[in-house]
Amino acid sequence: MLFLVYTAAAGFLVPVPAKPILHETIRNLYFHVCMWFSMMFIFTVSLVYSIKYLMNPDEESDIIASESANTGLVFGVLGLVTGMLWLRYTWGETGKDWWAPDPKLNGALIALLSYFAYIVLRMSIDDEQKKARVAAVYNIFAYVMMIVFVMIYPRLNNVDSLHPGNGGNPGFNQYDLDNHMRMVFYPAVMGWVMLSAWIASINIRIEKINRYNHNKI
Amino acid sequence: MQRELRHELRSRRSWLAILLYICSVVYVTYLAFQHDLEPTTWNALFWILIIFISMFAASGSFAGRDGEMLYIYTLVSSHKFIMARLVYNGVFMLLVSIAAFIAYCLFVGNPVGNIMVFFATLLLSVWGISSLLTMAFAIATKGGGGFALMAIISFPLLVPLLITAQHLSSLSMIPDATGYLGNMAALLALDALIAALCYLLFPYLWRD
Repeated sequence: MLFLVYTAAAGFLVPVPAKPILHETIRNLYFHVCMWFSMMFIFTVSLVYSIKYLMNPDEESDIIASESANTGLVFGVLGLVTGMLWLRYTWGETGKDWWAPDPKLNGALIALLSYFAYIVLRMSIDDEQKKARVAAVYNIFAYVMMIVFVMIYPRLNNVDSLHPGNGGNPGFNQYDLDNHMRMVFYPAVMGWVMLSAWIASINIRIEKINRYNHNKI
Repeated sequence: MQRELRHELRSRRSWLAILLYICSVVYVTYLAFQHDLEPTTWNALFWILIIFISMFAASGSFAGRDGEMLYIYTLVSSHKFIMARLVYNGVFMLLVSIAAFIAYCLFVGNPVGNIMVFFATLLLSVWGISSLLTMAFAIATKGGGGFALMAIISFPLLVPLLITAQHLSSLSMIPDATGYLGNMAALLALDALIAALCYLLFPYLWRD
């Protein structure tokens, strides 16, 4: 199965970076947006395996849950960084701000903070099984709160996001995501998501080897 | 279970400690700002105070009771325990936050226009905060990390509650503001969600 993930990831990845496209910030669509898709995907994987762990505690689901949370965090940070770079040149005074009062930015930061807290929590417990259980509980809690915050809150107070497609801003679909870009965007999403799965699977294997070595000693 | 709660109520030490904590924190803000507070600043400061006070209160709630926990463990089921805990902490935190509000009004002033909306907000948000902190503290005690770990764990999760509460209480400064019902409903839904999560997840923390 791991081989399948690997080949699919490689297959989707190769054409992505090599595509000739507009030499503008809109290129960032292929990276920034995909980062968030990958992050959500990999956090969802982590959530599923956390639930699985609580239902039926085995080491495998714990490793998968924790390593995909770590991987998701990397993608989250990358998403934030690419977003900040993009923001700097498109919103407000060009080249001045790194941050904006935007509900989606809040949501992103909250997600990252809570998953960093997840890592800290894991580090602070020594006993493997206890660590796995407590971390799984926190993971489920954090994920649900994050989804609520990211999905529901922005729609509540008419706090409009500055992002395209929100609050009267035209979405990308309408004016610049023409078919040409779509040809790149969809494979890019697939590619990044697959890449995230691939990195997570490598991390999972590394962690398994680590634990195996640790147990042998 | 009731006996346990009564026992808790009798421990005057925690009540006194929290009251002193409120007084000193509020007085510090008074010293820093004197009387010239804009409603926005008032609002921001008030909710920050509420976070700190409720964290302090929540950290007292499980502390130093390891032996007792074992005893309770043999007596009641985890579901009963967490529900009792949530109710108790909710009521406790509500009283504490009302005390904080009174102290805050005394020293810093009170720009609230629509007191009903404000109190409803306070009730709903403090309820949510207290149940979230109860859970966070249960997790943090398992982690053996005490107060710092709890702050790290709970803060990101508190933000949705806090933002909604802050928005609502800034609405309550305007006497004839409308549009708070949707936010109230959201706050209520958040509370229910947190309580449900606590109910579902606590048993996994409980058995050791």
